Amino acid sequence: MSPVFGAEGFRTLRLSWALVAVSIAVGAGIVAATHWYAAKERRGSMDTGRRLQEARSRVDTARRERDSLQESADVFRTLVNRGVLQSERRLDVVDLVNGLRARNQLAALDYEIDPQRVLQLPGGRVYSSLDVLASRVRIRARALHEGDLLGFIDGLEHNMQGFYLPDRCLLKRLDVSDPLSLQPRVEAECTLEWITLKEKRGSRPS
Amino acid sequence: MRHFLYLTNTRLVSLLTSGRSILSRREFAVSGAGAAAFERYLAQVPTTPVRIFTDLSEEDLRLDAIPHVGARDREAIVGRKLAQIYRNTPYRYAQLQGRETEGRRDDRVIYTAVTNPEMLRVWLEMIERLRVPLEGIHSAAVFSGVLLEEMDLLFPHTLLVTFTPGDAMRQTYFRDREIRFSRLTPIDLGEGQTLGGMIAEETTRTWQYLDSLRNFAHEDRLEVCVLVHRNDRATVESALRDFAQLQYRLLDMEEVAIKLGLKPPPLDSTAEEVMVHLFLLRGAPNHFATPEMRRHASLRSARILLTQISLGVLAASVVWGGWNLWQVFQTNETDQRVAQQVADLNRESDEIMRSLPSFGVGGTTMRDAVTFYNGSLRTYPSLTDFLLPLSGVLRGYPEVKLLQLAWIATDDPKATLKIRPTTLRDLPQVKSSSKGQVNTAPTPGAAQETPNPPFAGGRYEVALLEAIVRVPNNDFRAARTQVERLANDIGQIEGFRVDVVDSPLDTSPTLELSGHLLDRESPTMDARFVLRLTRERNPA
Repeated sequence: MSPVFGAEGFRTLRLSWALVAVSIAVGAGIVAATHWYAAKERRGSMDTGRRLQEARSRVDTARRERDSLQESADVFRTLVNRGVLQSERRLDVVDLVNGLRARNQLAALDYEIDPQRVLQLPGGRVYSSLDVLASRVRIRARALHEGDLLGFIDGLEHNMQGFYLPDRCLLKRLDVSDPLSLQPRVEAECTLEWITLKEKRGSRPS
Repeated sequence: MRHFLYLTNTRLVSLLTSGRSILSRREFAVSGAGAAAFERYLAQVPTTPVRIFTDLSEEDLRLDAIPHVGARDREAIVGRKLAQIYRNTPYRYAQLQGRETEGRRDDRVIYTAVTNPEMLRVWLEMIERLRVPLEGIHSAAVFSGVLLEEMDLLFPHTLLVTFTPGDAMRQTYFRDREIRFSRLTPIDLGEGQTLGGMIAEETTRTWQYLDSLRNFAHEDRLEVCVLVHRNDRATVESALRDFAQLQYRLLDMEEVAIKLGLKPPPLDSTAEEVMVHLFLLRGAPNHFATPEMRRHASLRSARILLTQISLGVLAASVVWGGWNLWQVFQTNETDQRVAQQVADLNRESDEIMRSLPSFGVGGTTMRDAVTFYNGSLRTYPSLTDFLLPLSGVLRGYPEVKLLQLAWIATDDPKATLKIRPTTLRDLPQVKSSSKGQVNTAPTPGAAQETPNPPFAGGRYEVALLEAIVRVPNNDFRAARTQVERLANDIGQIEGFRVDVVDSPLDTSPTLELSGHLLDRESPTMDARFVLRLTRERNPA
C-alpha cells in the first residue's frame, strides 16, 4: 500500500488534506456566490429587456397614433368647430330655426325636440371612448313655394353648428280654393336627428 | 531544486541542480569524517529530494531469460529470481531488455544489485534520520547506456569506458544497446604505467573475457568508447592501438558536454556530472530503492500534488467566479445600454405624445369621433340632393303635377313607405280597385316610429312620389305612356331605381275595373300615379 494512504501518510498530510477540503469549500463558495449573483443580475437583465420591449411598443403605438391622428386631425377639428363634442345648446337651435324660418318666409312652423337619448347604431356598434347622442327634431312647416321648404331643410342640414340628419320627410301640395290668394301651397313634415358626441368617462388618457 | 549523490567506493559527490543546470558540487570521502561532513551538509538542504547514483565495485550484473508471460506473472518470476540470487541485499533490480529471436522467444532480463548493502546503509540512515525525501537509487552502469544513445554511438558491440570519482574505471559492455556486462577497476598505476596503457590493458582483457563467453563472431569488432577529458586525452590516445577486433573511440568530455548541453563542462574525466545531466534530460526509473526508503519522497510528492490540487481548485473556482462576474459585468453594461435606450424611447414617446393634436380629448376619442363621422355622417343622404335631379327631370314634363312626396333615409332598400292618396276632384270615369279595399294608409312617420328609433344609417333613400298627369279624357294609353316615360327618365339618373306602384289605370285581371261615362265630359282628365324611387348611397 502506498505510504500516502497509511497512518503516517494521513498524519503527515493532514494539513494538505485540510487545505484541499478548505479549497474545495472556498472554491464552491466562490462559484456558488458568483453564480447566484450572476443569476440575479440575469433576472434583472431580463426585466430590463422586458422594459425595453415595452418602451419600443409604446413608441410604436405613439408613432401609429401620431400618424393616425394627424390624418384625422383636420376632420376632428371640423367636428369640434361644429360643436359636435359639446352638449346640446337648444337655445341656439331655437335661434337657428327662427332665423331659417324668417329667411325662407315660412307661413307656419311647428317643431318639437325630443329628449336626448343614446343613439342605437346599426349592428349594435359602440365606440369605446364616446357615446353617440341624438335628439329627434320634428318639424311641420307650410310655405307658399316648395323651394322655401327645401331651403329651410337645407339650411338645417348644412348648418355649420351641429349635425341635423333628415330621417324622413313628407312634402305635400295643399289644396287651395282660391288660386290667387296668398295661402300656403305646400306643407312639409320632417323628422331629423340632431347628433352630438359625448366622451365617455375615464377614456381620456391621464 | 534537486539533489544528486554519486556514490563510489571511496567518494561521495553531491550535485545540487536547478532545472538542467548544476548549481554546486561537493565531494566527500567515504569515511567517518566524510560521512559526518556530509550529514552536516545534508542537514542544510533537508527538504530537497535526493537521488543516488551508485558506481560501486560491489554491483553485480547477471543475464537471464525467462518465459514470455503476462506482466503480473513476469513480475512474480523476476521477483522470485531476484530474491533467490540476491537474498542478502534489498538493493536489487531487474530490467527487461528484449526477446530472444529463436526457440521460445524468451524475454531477456538482467538482474543487478548492490551486493554489499553496507555501502549504502550509512548514507541511507543519514537520509532517513534527516527525513530527506529519497526519490530513487540508480545504477550508474545500467543508466550509462543513455549516453551512447544520446551520442549516437550505436554499434553491435560497444564497450563504454568511464571514470568515477575516487580513481576507478568502469567498463560496461552493450550488445545491440542491451547491457551485458559491467566491471569497475581501481586506477592503481604501476611504475611507468600511464592511464592510456592501463586502459589498453584493461579493455583488451575485457575483450578477451567477453570473447571467451562467445559474445563475438569472427568478423565482430568491439567499439571501445572512452569518455575522457581533454587534459587526459593526450596520454590516453597515444597508448591506444586499434586492431581488427577492437577499435577505440575517444569521447572528448568538452565535446560531449556541448552536445548534451551541459554547462559548464566538467573539469576532469569523471563521468558523474554527465550522468546527472543525462538523467535530467531523459530520466530513468528507480533501480534499488524500496517503497519504504522512498516514503518521504512519496509523501512529499503527495503533499505537492495535494497543494497543487488545492491551488488548482482555488484557481479554477476563481476563474469560474471571475467568469460569472465578467458575465455580470457584461450584463450590467448591456443593462446600462438598454436603460439608456429605454430612457431615449420614453423621451421619444413623451415627445410624440406631446406633439399629438389633442383638442382636449384623448386620441381614442378623436379616432372614434372621426370614424363615426366618416362612416355615418360624411356621406349621409340629403333631401335636397335627392330632389334636385328629380326636379330636373320633372321640368321636362309640364303635364305632370306633383302632389306629394314621402322620403326616408334607411339601411333597408325594401323599406315600406305609405302615403295617404290625395283626394282629386276630376277623377277619371274608368278606374280599377280591389273589392272592399279601404285606403287608410297612414302618413309616414307617425305609425312607424318607436320610442327610441335606431340610427337610420342612410345607405338607401326610398321615396314615394304621387302625381297626376293631364291627358285627353279617357286616353289611358297616353297616360300610361307618359308615366312609363317619366319613370324611365328618372331611372336614368345615376343611382336611381324607379318602380311604378300605382299606374293611371291598373289593368291587372285580379282587380275590378269599372267605368262611369257621362254625356258631357271634360276634354281632359288627371290620371293619378305613384312611383317608388330608390337611390343607393355611393360607398365612401
